[in-house]
Amino acid sequence: MSNVVIAGYVRSAFHLANKGALRKTRPDDMIGAVIKGLVDKTKLDPADIEDIIMGCAFPEGEQGFNIGRIAAFLSGLPVSVAGVTVNRFCGSSMQSIHQAAGSIKMGAGDAFICAGVESMSRIPMGGFNPMPNPGLVSAGSKAYIGMGETAENLADKYQIARAKQEAFAVESHKRAAAAQAAGKFKDEIIPVKGEGGMIDADGCIRADSTLEALAGLKPVFKETGSVTAGTSSPLTDGASAVLVCSEEYAKKKGIKPLARILSIAVAGCAPEIMGIGPVPATQKALARAGLKLNQIDIFEVNEAFAAQSLSVIQELGIDLTKTNLDGGAIAIGHPLGASGGRITGKAAALLQREKKKYALSTMCIGGGQGIATVLEAM
Amino acid sequence: MAEIKKAAVIGAGVMGASIAAHITNAGVPCVLLDIVPKDNPNRNAIAEGAVAKLLKTDPAPFMSKRNASLITTGNTEDHMNLLADCDWIIEAVIENLEIKKTLYRKVEETRKKGSVVSSNTSTIPLKELEAGMPADMVQDFMITHFFNPPRYMRLLELVASSKTKKEHLTMIRDFCDVRLGKGVVICKDTPGFIGNRIGMYWLQTGVIEAINLGLTVDEADAIASRPFGIPKTGVFGLIDLVGLDLMPHITKSMLSLLPKTDDYVRISAEPPVITTMLQNKWIGRKGVSGFYRVKKDGGQKIKESLNLTTAQYAPSVKADLPSLNASKKGGLKALVESPDKGGQYAWKLASQGLTYTAALVPEIADRITDVDEAMKDGYGWGKGPFEIIDDMGAKWFADKLAADKKPVPPMLKLAAEKGGFYRTEGGKLQYLTTTGDYADVVRAPGVLKLSDVKRAGKPVLKNPSAKVWDIGDGVLCFEFTSRANSLDPLTMAAYKDTIKLIKSDKKWKGLVVHNEGPNFSVGANIGLVLFAANIAVWAELESQIEEGQKTYLALKQAPFPVVAAPLGMALGGGCEILLHSDSIQAHAETYTGLVEVGVGVIPGWGGCKEMLLRFKNDPKMPKGPIPASGKAFEMIGTAQVSKSAFEAKEMGILRKDDQITMNRDRLLADAKAKVLKLAEGYQPPKDQVISLPGAGGVAALTVALQGMQLQGKVTPHDMVVSLALAKVLTGGNTDPVDTISEKDILKLERQAFLELARNPATLARMEVMLDTGKPLRN
Repeated sequence: MSNVVIAGYVRSAFHLANKGALRKTRPDDMIGAVIKGLVDKTKLDPADIEDIIMGCAFPEGEQGFNIGRIAAFLSGLPVSVAGVTVNRFCGSSMQSIHQAAGSIKMGAGDAFICAGVESMSRIPMGGFNPMPNPGLVSAGSKAYIGMGETAENLADKYQIARAKQEAFAVESHKRAAAAQAAGKFKDEIIPVKGEGGMIDADGCIRADSTLEALAGLKPVFKETGSVTAGTSSPLTDGASAVLVCSEEYAKKKGIKPLARILSIAVAGCAPEIMGIGPVPATQKALARAGLKLNQIDIFEVNEAFAAQSLSVIQELGIDLTKTNLDGGAIAIGHPLGASGGRITGKAAALLQREKKKYALSTMCIGGGQGIATVLEAM
Repeated sequence: MAEIKKAAVIGAGVMGASIAAHITNAGVPCVLLDIVPKDNPNRNAIAEGAVAKLLKTDPAPFMSKRNASLITTGNTEDHMNLLADCDWIIEAVIENLEIKKTLYRKVEETRKKGSVVSSNTSTIPLKELEAGMPADMVQDFMITHFFNPPRYMRLLELVASSKTKKEHLTMIRDFCDVRLGKGVVICKDTPGFIGNRIGMYWLQTGVIEAINLGLTVDEADAIASRPFGIPKTGVFGLIDLVGLDLMPHITKSMLSLLPKTDDYVRISAEPPVITTMLQNKWIGRKGVSGFYRVKKDGGQKIKESLNLTTAQYAPSVKADLPSLNASKKGGLKALVESPDKGGQYAWKLASQGLTYTAALVPEIADRITDVDEAMKDGYGWGKGPFEIIDDMGAKWFADKLAADKKPVPPMLKLAAEKGGFYRTEGGKLQYLTTTGDYADVVRAPGVLKLSDVKRAGKPVLKNPSAKVWDIGDGVLCFEFTSRANSLDPLTMAAYKDTIKLIKSDKKWKGLVVHNEGPNFSVGANIGLVLFAANIAVWAELESQIEEGQKTYLALKQAPFPVVAAPLGMALGGGCEILLHSDSIQAHAETYTGLVEVGVGVIPGWGGCKEMLLRFKNDPKMPKGPIPASGKAFEMIGTAQVSKSAFEAKEMGILRKDDQITMNRDRLLADAKAKVLKLAEGYQPPKDQVISLPGAGGVAALTVALQGMQLQGKVTPHDMVVSLALAKVLTGGNTDPVDTISEKDILKLERQAFLELARNPATLARMEVMLDTGKPLRN
């Protein structure tokens, strides 16, 4: 049975929702351009693509009509390429990679485009018609709890002081700004049309973020809480695409793979502390890969909130110097459906750049879940 | 006739920028230029900074924040070409003749032929501005003097020379009147024109006499305000508002222009306390302090006043003078006759300020009406100086002056002989001319004032809470007459009688709901609700609510058009009247919203229902069951109130076809015209059914509320009220696949209202609102 590899990773620039340069760009146009960029970059024969598996957290409005299929049209792929939309909220595009891996393992295709997109400017979080189940709500279930509140719960539970959260956020911006200045995002960003022309650079990163500035912000989710806008990932517009194929196919077509997928996992947890989801997911994925945490060289831990990331890092005992080398979602942004592809593709790319062996990408998911992927360099 | 499609303002100081903002309020794009700053790499920094500041200013210069995009910023070195397509160019730079003249030469190079150029000068005469100007420009030139803040102060003084083209004067006058909503007064080219000539004299006298008589600033302001019908800022509060630093500039300019014999010269000396204040930069609200200041002591704010003798601040003491009490019963006449220092102060003000004014006609204006309008519109006086004299009696006033051995000006002498400055003759208001005849006060075409209608006749219907007037051409006007125009069972009864009357006689074509304010209506009389709740007559309360619903619905479905013409506040039940009208013709300064949650209830006279219908019928609303409910919940749940009619349109209270009148004097005529237009082939709206989300919607709003509660934005009783509101707005037990009728929603409103009215926390909110006028956050 063939191994599954990641053979390409690109994304759009990430920009602040409602005020950034991509607020007027339709999400389907955005991901269409990014997929086209991936195909061009990897010199993949489009006829070989089995399916576009599109992650999207709120697949309605301009993200509706099975945007996976719409993206195939907009990226100019042959009609033979199928398209599907998958939703695991923030884990959606990592789920895309997992589903491709499963299909390849089953012999149900050689090459998949695992995409993800979210225009948080154009489709609000929660969608246009949130209709929670009244029975669950009146029974006091936390199934629909706001994300900020879960971060506050973790800050309480794991005693993550506000100053520590802020130091984490400043570090994220510092790393992202340094990477941006050094041109380290150039390779991964596909320019897309936005306000004022082609947008080829990230817009959320604040190189001038300081502890003093963050200390002055008010808590946004809980009056007496510690989580501020500065220690949360921003609402973001963006898209990502990852080429997932069989190792044999890559070899045959002369495509240089970045990493092999060793294992995958998802896990549920209590919704009111959904941010801790990466802990059980990581434990499962590592066990399936037969690896110990200390064997991992590169970590991509999605930064939904500083309090949330720090809880996961603390609980698992992750080394911060190996984590989010080019910054995380607090600095770069978190377009829900696109983030899983970004951090997994990024982890694969970092294995090459840093010449390391093993990587892990993991993220938390609203409603109480975690998802994780373990990679090995090739 | 030419019209103004684009304008420009040069000079982006507070005045210039605010004028530009107000021009965009009329929907007209405007260029805003200022000089290139010395130490800033951004050459447009001054104009750009001014627009950014406009967006933060309170009260807002823009009627909608969106208007900021109609301003094009630039600088006077690189962007004079932007003037090339402007129809009106307003100069609002520093009061320096040479700077202005240099600028006019630059403007002349780029402006288009026939464009109007005007100066916003408050002190420099037209003849000096015109001197040396090319003939072409002279005929396009005039003074347009706005008052600060331009959006809110109605007065616009227009000064033209004999060389100014008549059609220009007409065009600018009409634009300022109809589009900018100004009370335009054509002035003579005399120092300070009308408003500031009298206003500055009044303020200067007010300061000097308070010092002479030993009044505190609080006492002086209490005397020089309400008893005269002048805003509560009086003398010292007003100087704090406009800025003490402006006074010496204006005085200096006036002294350089006025003859030595003018009484202004006599009172112009600067008292030592003013000199001290200027040295310390205690220039009022734009500085750290003025005659008043607010001292923060821990969490408390303490208001302090300046002692005029010692120039020290001390906590303010409310004025308590026998003369003030006398004025409450006997009016201004009793005040000026009071022997205490308050009475003496009032007489000093009246005998000097009003007499000075009377002596200025015809020097500064040919008609006393122009002077009265200018002081009302430019200084916010409730009555003009001549109307104030009439209130005391012109003869009485002249006799008292004579007894004081003070000169009586000819105009006052004339009024004393004839029996006053104004009279009503044949139902028409007339004013005294300089020749001693009375002439009709003539309103401009398109102006219809309810006060004129009322003067001319008797109401068609009346009860203690409302009157109905015949405003001509078969249109009736429904006027609220209760305190603060609050709504009660008598208002409902009058509505019903009006509907019956119009139905019974073919000569009636429709109805305007309007009054001359200051507020359209502050909503239902909650005192009555509280009373009913306190004695637990629940059935009676329910029937009151139901009666209101029935009346509003009857008004909506009556076989004739109803147009609401609000100005000022239209809150709660007042807003619900707008929502049930066929059409709204709103004055631009309409502040409206459904504020019921502030007193712990929900809109119960169809307000919830009508907002749902508006959002459901809005084609721009996203599809699906939630958005209409969600939007209405956000608006009603936070008691959102519009800060202009334009904002009311953005909120959805005004619909796309509802219109806005900028000039309040034109509001009634516009509304009447709309009734007549709608009356042709009028069909009343039919009952509508809509689909609402039901329990799933309540769940969504509950989750949102829980988040807000965590943020500390929702108090315990807010939660109770909001959940009751959520149930109404989501349609109760309905299901998204079912439909629900207007009557069903009204029933939900009624149930929620009554449930909340039984809650002690709601009654506590009502009590505090009635006692303090402020909401209780329990």
